[in-house]
Amino acid sequence: MTSKKKINKKDIAKLLSEWSQEFTVFVPWRDEGVAKWAKWDGKDASFLDWYRNTIVPPKAIFLPPVEGMFSFQKGKEGYHIELPPSDRRKELIFGIRPCDAKALAILDMIFSDTYEDPYYLARRKNGVLVGLGCVNPYDSCFCTSLGSSPTDSTNVDLMLTDVGDELLVEVITDKGKELMTKTSLAQAATQADEARARGEREVAYNKVTRQLDTKDIEKKLLANFDNKDYWEKIAAKCISCGICTFLCPTCYCFDINDELIKNQGERFKSWDSCAFPLYTKMPMENPRAEKWRRLRQKVCHKYEFYPINFDVIACTGCGRCIRLCPVNWDITQTLDSLPTKEKVKLEK
Amino acid sequence: MAVSDISHRLRFLAEGNAYLPHIAVIEKIIDETYDVRTFHFNCKDEKLREEFTFESGQFALVSVLGIGEAPFSISSSPTRRDHLECSIRQVGRLTRALHRLGEGAEIGFRGPYGNSFPLDFLEGKNLVFVGGGIGLAPLRSLIWNVVDNRDRYQNIDIIYGARSSTDLCFRYDLEAWGKDKTIDMVTTVDKGDEVWTGRVGLVPVVLEQAAPSASNAVAIVCGPPIMIRFTLPVLEKLGFTPEQMLTTLEKRMKCGVGKCGRCNIGNLYVCRDGPVFSYAQIKGFISSEY
Amino acid sequence: MKDEGMESKLRSEAKALLEQGKVDYIIGFEDGSLKFTTTPLMTSDKDDTSRLVINPFIVNNLSVFLTEVMGRVGIVAKGCDSRSIVSLVQDNKVAREDVVILGVPCLGIIDLGKVEELVGKGRDEIEDIIRDGDRVVIMASGNKREFPTREVLFDNCLSCELPTPQEYDILLGEPTSLADDRERAASQKKIDSLRDMTPEQRWEFWTSEFDRCIRCYACRNVCPACFCQQCFVEETEPQWLSPLPRWQDNLMFQVVRIIHVAGRCTDCGECERACPVNIPLRSLTRGMYDIVDVLFHYRAGMDKEAPPLLATYEATDAEDFIR
Repeated sequence: MTSKKKINKKDIAKLLSEWSQEFTVFVPWRDEGVAKWAKWDGKDASFLDWYRNTIVPPKAIFLPPVEGMFSFQKGKEGYHIELPPSDRRKELIFGIRPCDAKALAILDMIFSDTYEDPYYLARRKNGVLVGLGCVNPYDSCFCTSLGSSPTDSTNVDLMLTDVGDELLVEVITDKGKELMTKTSLAQAATQADEARARGEREVAYNKVTRQLDTKDIEKKLLANFDNKDYWEKIAAKCISCGICTFLCPTCYCFDINDELIKNQGERFKSWDSCAFPLYTKMPMENPRAEKWRRLRQKVCHKYEFYPINFDVIACTGCGRCIRLCPVNWDITQTLDSLPTKEKVKLEK
Repeated sequence: MAVSDISHRLRFLAEGNAYLPHIAVIEKIIDETYDVRTFHFNCKDEKLREEFTFESGQFALVSVLGIGEAPFSISSSPTRRDHLECSIRQVGRLTRALHRLGEGAEIGFRGPYGNSFPLDFLEGKNLVFVGGGIGLAPLRSLIWNVVDNRDRYQNIDIIYGARSSTDLCFRYDLEAWGKDKTIDMVTTVDKGDEVWTGRVGLVPVVLEQAAPSASNAVAIVCGPPIMIRFTLPVLEKLGFTPEQMLTTLEKRMKCGVGKCGRCNIGNLYVCRDGPVFSYAQIKGFISSEY
Repeated sequence: MKDEGMESKLRSEAKALLEQGKVDYIIGFEDGSLKFTTTPLMTSDKDDTSRLVINPFIVNNLSVFLTEVMGRVGIVAKGCDSRSIVSLVQDNKVAREDVVILGVPCLGIIDLGKVEELVGKGRDEIEDIIRDGDRVVIMASGNKREFPTREVLFDNCLSCELPTPQEYDILLGEPTSLADDRERAASQKKIDSLRDMTPEQRWEFWTSEFDRCIRCYACRNVCPACFCQQCFVEETEPQWLSPLPRWQDNLMFQVVRIIHVAGRCTDCGECERACPVNIPLRSLTRGMYDIVDVLFHYRAGMDKEAPPLLATYEATDAEDFIR
């Protein structure tokens, strides 16, 4: 994984232009002050000046908030169902942070498990990730506690490291290798450049100050599953909105709804949240009517259930939930304050 | 990898897409009670109709295209495949739309999903079926399956109850099983009325009174959550171990294939790792999540 | 407003209330897990009261928790919050005798978004924010910069009509004065610019804003006036609007929600603050607030004896819309 190339930041706009011949390029974008991912407007790479991380994660590109699954029509001979035209467009995500890239790798596991989700997987197959290491993590970031780092290159196709005026380029996968053949803007990187990059990576790593001890977290959560007092206390200030789950790069729960106008309609997938009261509602009862049960589900799903099924914690420490929660509910505080003694009050 | 390998269940997917429904046609409608209807239907596509098969305990996602989709157990037995059956109670927008359909109407149908009752585990044992209300629907598939292969199993006890006599479902089955000399059939209602001349009492109470032996036995329980919660302790009292108690659970479902997230009990998904569970599997979570 | 006097008085009063069994819970603020944030503190343990704080960042309207907490509550309320409590009392959602209002005379809450924009740094890159009367000192990268306080306050604080609670049980400090008319104009700038647009321009503006909405329902859940057990968006029979986050349904959701809270919205601004995608919701809520004032000469949460506005009819009500 040695970097052999580098690109001057001034050339990034040209680079994106070159890649735009084949790909739809997505870059960080500010819409009324809201940082999200949007199609590059072809002008410049000024987003590099303000970009730390987006509010809406890049999962929104592969798992959009609303998506049509199939359409149907009722004719004289009955129903006719049609899949949407397969999207062969190739997408390039420029500047994805390691936490968000790792999150996509985590989502891949659930969506390819046995019954493959064709919508998400097709996009992932046609997608290319160009990662950009962080230089300025937030005080809410804790990726280093979850086996990652601000400059982790594991889950991208190309990895860029910011060394000031230039970006060092590492080829990680074959897709990344192919990307580099489509441009002549990259120059050779020197030993000194690589040393600088190593230095920057270390600086970024040390800037992540928030820590979370995940040792035995599965066992701790299992031991506290029936600890109603603890969960009620934790959940008291939650307002059951969807901010933490919708803006979380690893959350993926979805709803399915039909729409019908006269004899035509469509079935849609859309973002849903386990924090919503109606998420598990059945006609006769709702097993998670109480807020503390929903919060327990959210925490345990990420730190206990998903690890049991897929061997990885479904959280990458991006910190969006902490930054954006209207009541500053903090998952690291919740997990840190889990009682560890044997004496936990069991729920009746 | 996720909890269990279910790759053998990847059959009958429309165009390889697990979310895409097939079209099925309603052939017959039976009114079980004032709010429960049984639909007999078959796949519209000839080839699929011939090939389609499932196992007792599995469910299907039935939809009225444009209104919505919900899971329903396939209540017919795989040993009687001339048509498929689902029993549906009218409780909301989708089920009301389903009840408005008549014979010949088309519905969306995808499945079979979920796991099934472990027939090899049940073989050679005494079977105690405990059902409540419309909870008899998934059990019914297994009961007919067992009856159609009678010599593979030992004693059969069926204890079935409903809130009142007007809530009893599958009366024609209750009658047939009552007449079967190899089956011990007890029907009860929570609350009696002028018409009802049979047993009166809650299902867990009647079960305790019937006191079936736990020796070489398996209990299969299905009903409203509250009934399950009270029945399982009674079975424990009668000496059934958690491995000897099977149940089939119901949860709100949307995708049916373990992805949308909502039907989980702990790390298990009712649509994927269930709906058939042994009490041993879900013991840790049952009081809290179900 | 970081007044040690108020803070220590709050802590001792709250502790006493719990010790004497006068309340079952205290709802207040404690330091948040991020710099310059606070978070709601809800406790029945008297020792927790030592963590209660009063500072320029106590932004939440805590009265939103009154409709779910059981029992008697001692609640920290700024002027705007106390109006929401009164409004809930008017609606019979909360019994006045079940609430002990710990009133906080408020000098305005600092909007970190405005601070970030003024100094060009993120919240976590700022060393300190110190409020000193009508000046605010911001320390970042070793530099000290001063601004008039009103440049960093939330918009609705600039036009605050009740900084000191009228309805309270214990007042934690000296009453503060109202904002003057110049500041009211400043708080209305965005709203007035919308009024100056043509209907087509306004439509363009709002359809593009609601394109960003992700239907997280934070605006609804953070609002004390939205206390329905089942919100209209969750009805299926009939289904009033689609749950899918497209601008058409997003816009409809917000419009109907604002009509539903008309006469009970106190312009606390929480909906706009909570929105993660910066939709200027206050431009709509304040707009409705002003319509209610013009049509009915009524302001929510000012008089606990008054019947709820939209539950009553007066012979003098405007009728010019009936043609």
